[in-house]
Amino acid sequence: MNLVFYSGGNEEENVELDEECLGLLESNNPTLVFIPSSSFDGDYEFRAFVRHYQRFGISRFLYFPIDVPQDNVLLREVFQSDLIHLGGGNTYYFLSTLRKRGYLPFLKEYALEGGLLTGLSAGAILMTPNINTAGYPDFDKDDNEEGLTSFKAMNLVKFEFFPHFKNSVRYDRELRKHSQLTKNPIYALPDGAGIIKTEKSIQFVGKAWCFHQGQKTLINP
Amino acid sequence: MTRLKKNSLRKLNEDNGFKPSSRTYAKFKKINGKHPFQKATKDSFVAYRARVRHGGKVVVFNYELAREMGLLPSGHPDKMTKDLEKAILDTFAIVIINEYDQINKIKYPEKDIKPNFYMATRYLQLQHPNKQGKTSGDGRSVWNGCLETKNGIWDLSSCGTGATCLSPATHIQNKYFQTGDPSISYGCGYAELDEGLATMFFSEIFNKNQVTTERVLGVLQFPDGYAITIRVHNNLLRPSHMFNHLKQSSFEALQKVVDYYIDRQVRNGVWTDMPEDPHARYDKFLEKQTAVFAKTAAKFEDEYIFCWLDWDGDNVLMDGGIIDYGSVRQFGLFHSEYRFDDQDRFSTSILEQKSKAKYTVQNFAQIVSYLKTGERRSLKEFGNEPWSDEFERIFESCKLKNLLYRLGFKKEIRQQILERDSELVQEFLKSFSYFERAKSVKGPKKVNDGINWDAIFCMRDILRELPQLYLSRGESIKRKEFLEILKSTYATTEDLTLTSYRKKKIDSFQDLYWQLVKTAASLQKITQNKVLLNLTMRSSVINKYDRVTGDSITTITDMMMEKIDKMSPDRLYGLLQNFSEYQNLDPDTDKNLDKNQWQKSQLMRGFLQIVRDYREGL
Repeated sequence: MNLVFYSGGNEEENVELDEECLGLLESNNPTLVFIPSSSFDGDYEFRAFVRHYQRFGISRFLYFPIDVPQDNVLLREVFQSDLIHLGGGNTYYFLSTLRKRGYLPFLKEYALEGGLLTGLSAGAILMTPNINTAGYPDFDKDDNEEGLTSFKAMNLVKFEFFPHFKNSVRYDRELRKHSQLTKNPIYALPDGAGIIKTEKSIQFVGKAWCFHQGQKTLINP
Repeated sequence: MTRLKKNSLRKLNEDNGFKPSSRTYAKFKKINGKHPFQKATKDSFVAYRARVRHGGKVVVFNYELAREMGLLPSGHPDKMTKDLEKAILDTFAIVIINEYDQINKIKYPEKDIKPNFYMATRYLQLQHPNKQGKTSGDGRSVWNGCLETKNGIWDLSSCGTGATCLSPATHIQNKYFQTGDPSISYGCGYAELDEGLATMFFSEIFNKNQVTTERVLGVLQFPDGYAITIRVHNNLLRPSHMFNHLKQSSFEALQKVVDYYIDRQVRNGVWTDMPEDPHARYDKFLEKQTAVFAKTAAKFEDEYIFCWLDWDGDNVLMDGGIIDYGSVRQFGLFHSEYRFDDQDRFSTSILEQKSKAKYTVQNFAQIVSYLKTGERRSLKEFGNEPWSDEFERIFESCKLKNLLYRLGFKKEIRQQILERDSELVQEFLKSFSYFERAKSVKGPKKVNDGINWDAIFCMRDILRELPQLYLSRGESIKRKEFLEILKSTYATTEDLTLTSYRKKKIDSFQDLYWQLVKTAASLQKITQNKVLLNLTMRSSVINKYDRVTGDSITTITDMMMEKIDKMSPDRLYGLLQNFSEYQNLDPDTDKNLDKNQWQKSQLMRGFLQIVRDYREGL
């Protein structure tokens, strides 16, 4: 299992994480798949995704929006690819769509069988046990327009992921509070930082904090 | 969670403490009924007095268009101020004082009567009993005027401003109607709100996608539920504005309209190479109109736009722009056998539009000959003149260019490919058309407003997926896979039989596609993978899964109508902007989307679902 969690930020901020991530690829000529959180402007995000990874010499890409029906030909191709990237956006909508289309088990299987699964912000949250972190703090949360009541996600790791973290009192207060309501540690990372989780190891790129049982710890300075 | 920095999207023009001054809305006062067409011609319009129509409200106003026109200052926010609403209503909330009012000596308060005359223009219309256009024209519209700003010259007309003597009803029933007469619908001179909203949404989407069209500046509503739709274009003349005079052999009137049109195109900066000599000008006019209508016919065919082009030249503007959205559709598949049932006649089909466009140019050829010689020769004599070959040449050339565009090739490489190997593109077009025009074995059937024979393949889907799959695999896909991607929901099992002929066609399609990729790679001196990647990125936008159809616009309008009473003009405008941007499938423009807004808006979510549900329909 190879997972990469991107917090957010612009291309320059993520260069180090990108290099680590692409280092996990076994193929010399890999195919990368972009799955946007919604197809509303997913085609434009895909173009940005392609431009970004072209800089690393990648030339094969697939675009796979999940809130429109897809044929089995492209579906099969996606799950035979070398890397699947889950984009950012509204986490509730993303999860709801993945469930409706029945793609969650495919993604999970893909990751468990060694495929490189990466996610940015909402996409990263989806790889954790649940999407609770999308629901706080009040001043910076996703709207649950889908009315989801079950927040269970892929459960590929035993931690929760809080993207776009800002090291400030008001974020601390919220994260300390919520960390007391879950048994999982919550890894909070600012834009440009990320986590690389493989079968045997976990690596933090950039600054990272852990909130657990109300305590805050800087785990990667 | 949203990405904070990456992909930050522009928002609608925000308020930023904007306060209008006394001059902010001054340009509205220039829209007062006066129009240069009134001076240039005398036999081409009926002049009406107009009066204030009270109780109106602005349902929606197109800020972007108003700024583009220079009617609003460039920094004006997307916000309906009290002063703006007053300016809009003062300018556009009018109703004409028509023949019925005059015969019945109906008096209106002097203060309500507008100082200038407003014109209802005369033009040919096939649904009129008189086939020479002696009695037809704007039946429920008048022209508000002409606005000249540093941004250009704009014609404005409004639909729903009262019953004129040029409506079909007046001549079929041989009487003048009171505006709003409930005994007659179309002839009553009023317009429905849903018509205006549908036109606004459809035309904004077309405009974003480089389809020439009238645009809607705003829609007003009145206490009786009826509406006024304000339409805008750089030049609102239609071929039918000339064809009536041609049919009537009114040389002077025809000459004035043609001269006016040419002068206006020059003033608009659209035609920059007009010769001085009058005869040479008319020849140039024919040359330009030939190109316009050949290009338009090809565009309509390739974008699946059904516009009911016909011999009267009524449903299209002189520059090929779409006008009158009543029967306009955009199909999801190439439903080439669809015909609208207009009670006493069936419309043309999408494939017949080319011959109608060509026939329109034949009329222009007759006009030019008439103006140059003073003799009106039979229309038939103009069928095989040089313009005809030129029309065919331009049409065929546009078809090839359009196809390369749909595949995803950039403009510069499209031209290079055609110069290097146009035969290859022609071969591919044949192969493409075989699938595009394939019909269901079920045969023709009745649909809600006409007849159709279902197309079974979605070319947009194969064009979107093929470059990705080639890129990923480095080779062609299997025949069964090809059909699986291509098939639409209209296709039955029998329709999808993999006959030996179809196998050959699939192989040929893929071979030709690869040849195009190789040609492009060689021309651009890049790898085939790079070409495929470029095609992948552009094609995912051009051939996006969900593109609006006529049915989806109708359904979306119905949905809006249920909520319209509680919706502010600015909210409706926000929806319009976001929806039309979402439907902007031009890969060469930036999108102006508010990503979060659609998810929060139940209406917008509903719109998206409708587009998906109806995407293969009519």
